[in-house]
Amino acid sequence: MNKQDLPWHSRFDLLGVTFLLFLAASLGALPSIQGSGRDLDYWGNLSHFVARFFPPDWSIFERTMYGLLETIQIALVSTLLAVILSFLISLGASRNVAPGWVLWPTRMLLNIIRTIPSLLWALLAVVIVGSNSLAGVIALTLYSVGYLAKFFSETFESTDLSSQNALKSLRASPLQAFQYGLWPNARPIIWSHCLWMLEYNVRSASIIGYVGAGGIGLHLKLYAESADSWNKFSLVLLCILVIVTVLDFAGEKIRKSIRDKLEGTPK
Amino acid sequence: MPPPLLETQNLGLCLSGRWLFRNLTLSIPPSSFVAISGPSGVGKTSLIRILARELSATEGSINSCLHHGQHTSMIFQDLQLANGASSLTNALGGCLARHSSLRTLWGFPVHEKAKAMEWLTKFGLENKARQWASTLSRGERQRLAICRSMLSSPTLLLADEPVASLDSDWANRTLDILKYSQKERGGSLVCSLHDEGQVQQFADFALRLDWESPTQWTWEKISRSDG
Repeated sequence: MNKQDLPWHSRFDLLGVTFLLFLAASLGALPSIQGSGRDLDYWGNLSHFVARFFPPDWSIFERTMYGLLETIQIALVSTLLAVILSFLISLGASRNVAPGWVLWPTRMLLNIIRTIPSLLWALLAVVIVGSNSLAGVIALTLYSVGYLAKFFSETFESTDLSSQNALKSLRASPLQAFQYGLWPNARPIIWSHCLWMLEYNVRSASIIGYVGAGGIGLHLKLYAESADSWNKFSLVLLCILVIVTVLDFAGEKIRKSIRDKLEGTPK
Repeated sequence: MPPPLLETQNLGLCLSGRWLFRNLTLSIPPSSFVAISGPSGVGKTSLIRILARELSATEGSINSCLHHGQHTSMIFQDLQLANGASSLTNALGGCLARHSSLRTLWGFPVHEKAKAMEWLTKFGLENKARQWASTLSRGERQRLAICRSMLSSPTLLLADEPVASLDSDWANRTLDILKYSQKERGGSLVCSLHDEGQVQQFADFALRLDWESPTQWTWEKISRSDG
């Protein structure tokens, strides 16, 4: 069949159609973007504001490091808790493990958890346990469970089941077949997700302090609200940038090596 | 004549309206190597899967004559290894049935590990024991799958093209090891082979399936001067 024989609409696949829709919708949304109506000197404001960021004030470096440390601790603890909870919940959300009456309520619950942004979880937690790092841990744990449990259940659903079945045919018990057949195939992917979540939580933990849930965000809030502290604010931002970049870089390296190893490049 | 390990009565399999084989009546004698041969698509894999009770036959019956404590293991054509686990752990999968889930929760008994290493060494994988199965070559994966099945000490070993992706040197060594390991414990080996040379060299009996006619299968005793 040559090109002319194809019906006209066969040129539009899902990708093409959704791209056109996206383009049309974005252009259609342009008129809704309006300025304040006042006659402002945008560039002047920006340069004036940014200029006050420099040079960063290094005198607060040590204090900032303590704040960052607390941020990372919140991220670590909440990721660990979320991994444990997510593992259990994900079994209930996996089509190939759980029966239907467990599956749908669990998935619905996860959808609800994911609907609430981390900052809102932080606000809720601060209201309940007060303004401290425990609030941060609670907030990020709940927030992460929404994502991790979904990732885990998708991993269990997409994992190659053949080695589990092979072990069953060698008369292994269901638990043994899961532990030595399914789990080794799922583990590297699950570990990648955990690393990603940890990175993400360090980023989230930097901002939730803004509403009082511990960590470096509190410093950001203080400097942003006090007069002439933008050079301190910029130092905090700089430190967060360094940490996040390092984590991003390390996480990407580790995930790539896990992926390569699992996909198997014969040596 | 000693009692057989497995018998079939008028076994037949019909897939998508086509009979692959019919009226297949066999008995697998102990301490023997039975080769199943025939062209591609003739039903070798299906027959082995039926003998392993992974697939049900359309007609006929299978009668297992294994005693208590004896069992069957199968080597799959698509290997079915756990990619994210080391070669050693994959091989140890064969010993799971001998231990409770509780015993294997935190690792394997030392003597099982030693036995698994013995098998890996026999199949030239001793230096790859700590590597993930995903990083092995196709031939190495095939040998690893064989190690796993051998560690389960089956009385009847069913193997679907166990040497298909091995070079001729390893293919011959593998068939040799499988044959003598099975005979040593009075067990048998049933495997599909597509190389007639291998059938002549190793098998005691050859079951040949026929593409044209499902009932025209033949059972031949292969006589060799070495006995």
